[in-house]
Parts: sequence; C-alpha cells; structure tokens
Amino acid sequence: MGEALQQQLAYVGYGLYLLLILAGGLAAVMSTSLVRALMGLILTLFGVAGMFLLMNAPFLAFMQILIYVGAVSVLIFFAIMLTKTPEGEAGAENMLEWIGLRAGLAVLAALTPAIIMATLIVKKAPAALALKPEVTLAQLGEFLTGPFVLAFELISVVLLAAMAGAVVLGFERRKGK
Amino acid sequence: MIIELLATPLGHTVAALVAILAFLGLNGLVMVYMERKVCGFIQLRPGPFEVGPRGLLQPVADALKLVGKQLVTPQGADALLFWLAPFISFAPVAICFLPIPFGPIATGMNMNLGLLLILAFSGLNALSLVLAGWGSNNKYGLLGAARAVAQSVAYEVPLLLSVLAIAFQVGSLNLSTIVEGQKGILSWNLFYQPLAFVIYFISATAETNRAPFDLPEAESELTAGFHTEYSGMGFGIFFLAEYSYMIVVCAVATALFLGGYDGPFAPGIWWFLAKVFFLVLILMFFRWTFPRVRFDQLLNICWKWLIPLGLANLIATALVMKLVQ
Repeated sequence: MGEALQQQLAYVGYGLYLLLILAGGLAAVMSTSLVRALMGLILTLFGVAGMFLLMNAPFLAFMQILIYVGAVSVLIFFAIMLTKTPEGEAGAENMLEWIGLRAGLAVLAALTPAIIMATLIVKKAPAALALKPEVTLAQLGEFLTGPFVLAFELISVVLLAAMAGAVVLGFERRKGK
Repeated sequence: MIIELLATPLGHTVAALVAILAFLGLNGLVMVYMERKVCGFIQLRPGPFEVGPRGLLQPVADALKLVGKQLVTPQGADALLFWLAPFISFAPVAICFLPIPFGPIATGMNMNLGLLLILAFSGLNALSLVLAGWGSNNKYGLLGAARAVAQSVAYEVPLLLSVLAIAFQVGSLNLSTIVEGQKGILSWNLFYQPLAFVIYFISATAETNRAPFDLPEAESELTAGFHTEYSGMGFGIFFLAEYSYMIVVCAVATALFLGGYDGPFAPGIWWFLAKVFFLVLILMFFRWTFPRVRFDQLLNICWKWLIPLGLANLIATALVMKLVQ
C-alpha cells in the first residue's frame, strides 16, 4: 500500500474513532435511561480501543475491549439491574428540563479543550510523529517486572486486598441469614 | 487487477471477511440439520425427513420461515436496545474468525495477538445477552440476562487460565505459530496439556450457553430466557450467533490442542474442518445427553473446581517451562 494512502486512511480512522468517542460521551451524558448511558460509555471505550490500534498498540486495544467492554461494563449492567426501580428511572420527568442545560454544558466541556488545543496546533503545527514500532508482549512483560516492578506489585496488593474484602463480605452476609 | 488487490493486506482482510460471512450463513444451515439429526438419533427417532431427500432441505424451510415472520417489538420495551442486542451478538463473530488458521494459507489475518483478539471480541456476547434481556421488558428475559452475566463472568476465568497454559508453553499468542509447533499427532498439545483441554472444553460449553449450561435460556423455567420476546430473524440472528460461537470455540480448541490443520494426505483445511466439526458433534452429544445443571451447581463447578485446577495447571506449566529452559 502506498505511503500516501496509508496516511489518508490513518486520518479517516482517527476521525472515525474521534467521532465514536464524542458520540458515546454525548449519549452517556444526554440519555435518561441508565442502560443507554452505559451503551454510550461502551461506544466511547471502543473508540479509545481504536485509538490504541491507531497508535500501533494492539495489546492495549484488545485489553481495553476484553476488560472494560467485556467485564467492567457487564458488571455495571449487573449493578443497574440489581438497583432497578419499577417505575422508570429516577426523576425521568424532571430530566427533560435538564437536557437542554446539560447538553449546553456537555458541548462546552467538549469544546473548551478542543478550542485551546486547536489554537495551539494552529499556532505551532507540530510535524506528524512517526509511528512507533509495536512493543512486543515480551518487552512489555520485561518492563513490568523490571523497572516498574514496584508499581506492578503495589497494584497486585490492591487487587488482593479487594478480593479478600469481597470474600470477607460474602462470609458475613451468610452468617447474617 | 483483482488479484493485485487481493494481495494487499487490506484486500486480503476484506476478502477473508466476505468468505467468513458466507461460511457462517452456510454453517447455520448445516448445523441446524446436524443438531436435529443428532437429537433424533439420541432420542431414537428419525429427526427431520419430510422436506427434501433425508430432510436435507429442512433447514432451508426453517430459514425461509424465520425470514418471512413479522418482527414484533414488545410494548414498553426499549426498542433501540431491543434491536441492538442481536447485532451486538452477531457482529463480533466475524472478527473472531479473522485470526483462525484454517490452513497454512487460509488465514484471514496472521497476527501476533490473534488469541487475545478472539477472547476480547467473544466477551461481547455476554453484553448482547444482558441487553436482550433488559431491552425486552420481560421478567423471564431479565432473569435470563442476570444468569447470563453471572455465568459468563465466572466461566471466562477458567477459559483464560487454560488458554494461558498453552500460551506459556508455546510462548506466543499467535494461533498460526501455535499450530506450526504441532507436527505429527504425538506433538499435539492435547497430550501435553490434557487438563487444560478438559477445562477449556467445559468452559467453552458454558460460554456458548450450550446445555447442560444453558441456564440463560432454560426453556423449562424461563420460557426462552433472554430471547423470549424475539420473533422472526431477531431470534434467527441469536441462533446464528450461537452456532457461529460454537464454531469459534471449537476452532480455537482445534488450533490450540488438536494440531490445527496438521494431518496426512488431504490438504490442511479439510483436516481443520473435520476436527472442528468433530468437536461440534461432541458439543451436540453433550446437549442431548446431560440434564441441565442447577444454578448453584453451575457456579460451584466453576469456582470450586475449574478455577483452582486451572491455576494449579498454570503454575505447573510455568514451573516445567522454567526447568526445561
């Protein structure tokens, strides 16, 4: 494939993923239904995964989908299902009045960084960065167990504490019955 | 011109996707027939035999009936989420097929992280099930969705553990590399990792919601679970997706444990398909042989047996690999 075509495709991909992220974010903020908001979140997560792919980091992209879309969002869904209120979702009528205001705020929140970035980019246009070579899985592992071993171990301690907490909570609930 | 276009990576991927979709459509018909014949065989009856020679045209008639039916959205349902669910269920399947090496050349996309891609995108199936259950505004659907979440989240863990054992052993997540390492029946990973194979196959049965683990759609308790409200092709797409996921899990099992396209005489792709459909046949025999488990039994099998065994297997594999080095 020609270099120029590849460049063009990269722009198209970037625009597409950007659109996905923004559309997902808007859907998450604007919808009155919690589940639809969750769908917006998932759309955004997909867009971010696409951005990772564009930056030649497929491992991160697939992990994003595996963990955030496949596991975390399903757990959020579970939480929504367990807390379902029978008559619609909290204050659905009042929401309508809020939508206009919230839409304005959302657009503002999205536009402010965009305007600042755009002025910066227009004033000092940086040269397009060359695509970094893909970091292999082996390299990633060596980094995690080498220079970043402290952070890695700290995260595992946090996860262990969370798991132990979950088990303790489970046992207490059982005693209560 | 077309040959040149096919030679580029992009052209190859597009051609592979088209071929995969054609294969999936045909596969749906074949597997409907296969399932009904296997069911008939086990229940001592002939199965479909009226339509066409030996009932061969029965799935075509079924498909035409499904396509012709009216699509109904239940009252009070969230129509957007309700109709989104079948598509989320089916769309990722085509991507899951891309890295599967059907033959030395017949690989959609030879990528280093192919196994991870399959695991990531097959996880979307759980999402589609909960969406379907939630969106249809039906208590059976909601119960089915709740079961689907608990089941798929639980069984993803042993599935990953068993796949990781093979990844540890081969040192790669590239399915083509894993298949290349298995030449001749004695070097198949099945003989090095029998425990991982058993764990993988049980978890895969649960992940594809096949009986005896079909609790999200248990017809004797939940009418039809998450797809109770779907009519016509809404149901048809769920069905197609279920059969396609069966092919995905069996193809991954073939590539990981059964030597992929390794075999004498015939070209590799026939061996691959033969092994895949052999595993599919075993899945079908499971369905009509074992009674459905209870929900607590389902979760106990996973958390008390498969996950500890998978962890032990993983640690043992890592130790052996370290010693062999």
